[in-house]
Amino acid sequence: MSKRNCVVILSSEDEDATSNLRSLSSSRSYTKSKSRSTSSSSRGRKKARASHSRSHLSKLHEIDLFGDDFNEVFTGSKVSAVKTSPYSLNVLLALKDASCSITVCYVDTTGTQRSFAEELWVDKYKPNSLEELAVHKKKVEDVKTWFEERLKSSKGVYNNNVLLISGQAGVGKSAAIHVIASHLGAIVDGWNTPTPVIWREHLYNSGTGTQYTSKLDEFESFVERVRKYGSLLTSYTGDSKPSIILLIDDLPMTNGKSAFGRLKNCLQLLVKSTQIPTAILLTDCGNADSVDYNARCLEELKLSLESSGACKVAFNPITVNSMKKVLFRICQMERRDVTAEYVDLIAKTSGGDIRHAITSLQFFCLKPNLVHSLASSTCSHGSLKEENNKPDRSDYGYSLHFGRDEALSLFHALGKFLHNKRETGVGIEYDQDGFLLRERLSRLPLKMDVPEKILCQAHVQPGSVADFLHENVLDFLDDEAIDDAWTVSSYLGDADILLAKLRGMLCSYNEAEGVLQSAAASIAVRGVLFGNSNPLSSRWHAVRRPRLWQVEKVSLYKNEVDRLRIPACKRFSSYHMSIMATEYMPMLKLLGNRACGYDGPSQKSSLNLEMEDFDFHKMDLDEQSMGLSDDDIEDW
Amino acid sequence: MSDSGCSSWFLLFIFYRFRGRELDDEVTTGFEWRSSSAIRRLDARFLVQRRVSDEDISRRTHKYHNQPLPKMLWVDKYRPKTLDHVMVHTDIAHNLKKLVKEQDCPHLLFYGPSGSGKKTLIMAVLRQMFGSGAEKVKVENRTWKVDAGSRSLDIELTTLSSANHIEISPSDAGFQDRYVVQEVIKEMAKNRPIDTKGKKGFKVLVLNDVDKLSREAQHSLRRTMEKYSAYCRLILCCNSSSRVTEAIRSRCLNVRINAPSEEQILEVLEFIGRKEELQLPAGFAARIAEKSNRNLRRAILAFETCRVQQYPFTNKQTIPPMDWEEHISEIASDIMKEQSPKRLFLVRGKLYDLLINCIPPEMVLKRLLHELLRKLDAELKHEVCHWAAYYEHRMRLGQKAIFHIEGILTDRLW
Repeated sequence: MSKRNCVVILSSEDEDATSNLRSLSSSRSYTKSKSRSTSSSSRGRKKARASHSRSHLSKLHEIDLFGDDFNEVFTGSKVSAVKTSPYSLNVLLALKDASCSITVCYVDTTGTQRSFAEELWVDKYKPNSLEELAVHKKKVEDVKTWFEERLKSSKGVYNNNVLLISGQAGVGKSAAIHVIASHLGAIVDGWNTPTPVIWREHLYNSGTGTQYTSKLDEFESFVERVRKYGSLLTSYTGDSKPSIILLIDDLPMTNGKSAFGRLKNCLQLLVKSTQIPTAILLTDCGNADSVDYNARCLEELKLSLESSGACKVAFNPITVNSMKKVLFRICQMERRDVTAEYVDLIAKTSGGDIRHAITSLQFFCLKPNLVHSLASSTCSHGSLKEENNKPDRSDYGYSLHFGRDEALSLFHALGKFLHNKRETGVGIEYDQDGFLLRERLSRLPLKMDVPEKILCQAHVQPGSVADFLHENVLDFLDDEAIDDAWTVSSYLGDADILLAKLRGMLCSYNEAEGVLQSAAASIAVRGVLFGNSNPLSSRWHAVRRPRLWQVEKVSLYKNEVDRLRIPACKRFSSYHMSIMATEYMPMLKLLGNRACGYDGPSQKSSLNLEMEDFDFHKMDLDEQSMGLSDDDIEDW
Repeated sequence: MSDSGCSSWFLLFIFYRFRGRELDDEVTTGFEWRSSSAIRRLDARFLVQRRVSDEDISRRTHKYHNQPLPKMLWVDKYRPKTLDHVMVHTDIAHNLKKLVKEQDCPHLLFYGPSGSGKKTLIMAVLRQMFGSGAEKVKVENRTWKVDAGSRSLDIELTTLSSANHIEISPSDAGFQDRYVVQEVIKEMAKNRPIDTKGKKGFKVLVLNDVDKLSREAQHSLRRTMEKYSAYCRLILCCNSSSRVTEAIRSRCLNVRINAPSEEQILEVLEFIGRKEELQLPAGFAARIAEKSNRNLRRAILAFETCRVQQYPFTNKQTIPPMDWEEHISEIASDIMKEQSPKRLFLVRGKLYDLLINCIPPEMVLKRLLHELLRKLDAELKHEVCHWAAYYEHRMRLGQKAIFHIEGILTDRLW
């Protein structure tokens, strides 16, 4: 998605900018030095323009410049925009606004602020040495020794030449590779994702006879080439051939089983036969238990690559401390005075994504400028630079804007609701203006986010939340607390009634239904939280899948089968199922074969009030079984 | 045709002959019809069976193939065929006969508790209207194509039809029931039968479980009733008229069928006993009648079960109870003994067992109340009734019955 977005923007630009961008985008995935050079060239370009504009100090030209710089900032941002996930695009969009003001600024106050507009900090402060990497030392060391061993020894010593690096977005996977490569004096080469062909472009090209090739096709041919002529890959023509590290970042997107199978096969071949040390980077899409098809594919891919002999290293999210270190370093180098409080907040909310954290920091440092520069551009061009750098207290609102939305798994959410963790402090004073509650209605404050927020993060259907809670809540109640059970069940009943409203109109989804559903979920959750007045001390519990689903399914099936079995035998047979079930079936069971030849006794035994053939897979809250149980849920 | 099947019909044949009520030719046609319809029934069953792709069922189909034709249950065997033979609601039958004879039959709405003879009366009325042709029924699984706004739906329903009537349970179609009613009536209106005298006749549509129809369906039923009243007559059948809208009720002749009294049930049982040439000990039939909860069908089924289990009858013989009722009384005593979340969890398992066996949740709740009332103190009774009504109402509003049944189980009344 992000790629496409960018390309649309590109195509709207004038010609030379496009060509410039082409080169940028083509080089972006592996040669950061090159991207630096292009950006420096653009800097030069800008200088020329800036001087040009200064020579004619007319408003008109300023506006012109304005537009140019806008583009430029965007070109800069493009480098990362292609790679980062959509949320940082949001930040970039905000940056786009901000950049307008920056340009105004730097026209007035030349010098230090200038560099600011030209590059994103993410690129500017890219780690250059192993020390600067925020990734855990041990992991870096692991990867380094792995490459070292393979680069130093002669070919063919190791039969597995593929390193699989997985991790969330923004944990420094490719940065680590690049840094290590430069440390070892190797060249990083790799799969440079071709620019996506947009449909209109393809239509235009199709006249000239160029065939459309999917990215997967291109990737396959690339892998083929690597396998056969791996060492000839680079067009490096020097005296001493430097060692090469192959980097495969950004696997082509696959849609559907067959395409995925092709990708898998081709990667497996690569793993088995490549001669060059290769690093394949896999970005874990959010939570492992997301119902997303792609996420599961990725998991499968990982397993298959491992089984065919790839070495796997998983990068963890970057810790808050090392993140803070990096952020402080950047602040120092930018000579910005960001309070520790903010840095801490940014580091914490970034969810271990350092790219995101740095972008947020930049964004955060921009904001005061924006406020100020607008003011300064309307009034006389006074330089109030020192004020810019101080984050104002009134900017507190901005602090809410950084931080990633985190996703919770269904089980985490359920665990939160069921365990019902509350503050334990005795001295919890009530607000003065809060109204007094009766003893039996008051509860200690919750030790979690607002339930609705958790629901949002877990992305679940309200109906299934109610079912899950209903199935599991009894385990979490005190043994004596039948009153609590009553409260809980009455709230669940309320939720059910809300869910059942508008039942007949399922086909026509409307707004009201959405509201009703979320209200129902909220009632179910809050009812469970409220009802469980004495939460048990937390101990391990398995979370079961609602048996209700099974019951519904089975009874439907039975209904069907009985309906088929019985009416044909009866003369006036259109009895309702309830009569069948309550009056005929029990008696027929007793009558057995003798009274009427409905079915053999084997049939009858299936009517036993036992459900022996249904096993209930327990679903556990602990981490290991998470993967398995998710599949179970999906099946339902 | 197996021996047993043939011989039973032969007995029946003799029996009719012996009674001498019917004319000879009628009996023979009846006989012919029975055997041919039996074949048809078999066919229908295969038709139906083939539709289900389930392996399990296809195995069963195979089994059916080699099976002798089923013997009739007493419930069906001794079902009165004509209004004259009705034993229980003789006055109603008499009135219905007069009504049909006068040619202009209004729409009819039969309501009353289950096992009181609504279906029997309806069939007898049909026979009265159309003669024995009404008994030549075939079972069919039919699919209706319905244009519902932008989409077209396929609705599948089992129908029972003769040349002159169609019987369906539209509530089986779930929330698409309204389309079914409209579509069937329209279709019937299209091909009106013409009787022998060249006069345009009408068809009868029998709708079961009208009270289970959704509100929309009831409204559309009302409109179609008005529009096509010249072409067809409706016979509606339901348990409780309170859930049928006023508009429909006022357009029909309401016929309330009471549950038969214990004496009437006794009478029927004794009649069957005589026909089957059984020795009935004094008081035995009365016990069955008492146990049956004034449900004639249940009484006859229980009677037959007793016959199969032990004959000759003894007075000590237990009348087989319904297993689901046993189950519910177990639940009730469980919950009375101890109320705790753990116990509730166990009980929940038992409730699920009931629901799996298609016992309607309303009946579970009703039976549960019955059991609780037996065990509770007098002063609690009205409270329990109140709450049972409350939860029953909520159950109807909601979707997942178990939530609400648990509501009454956890209630802190006892």
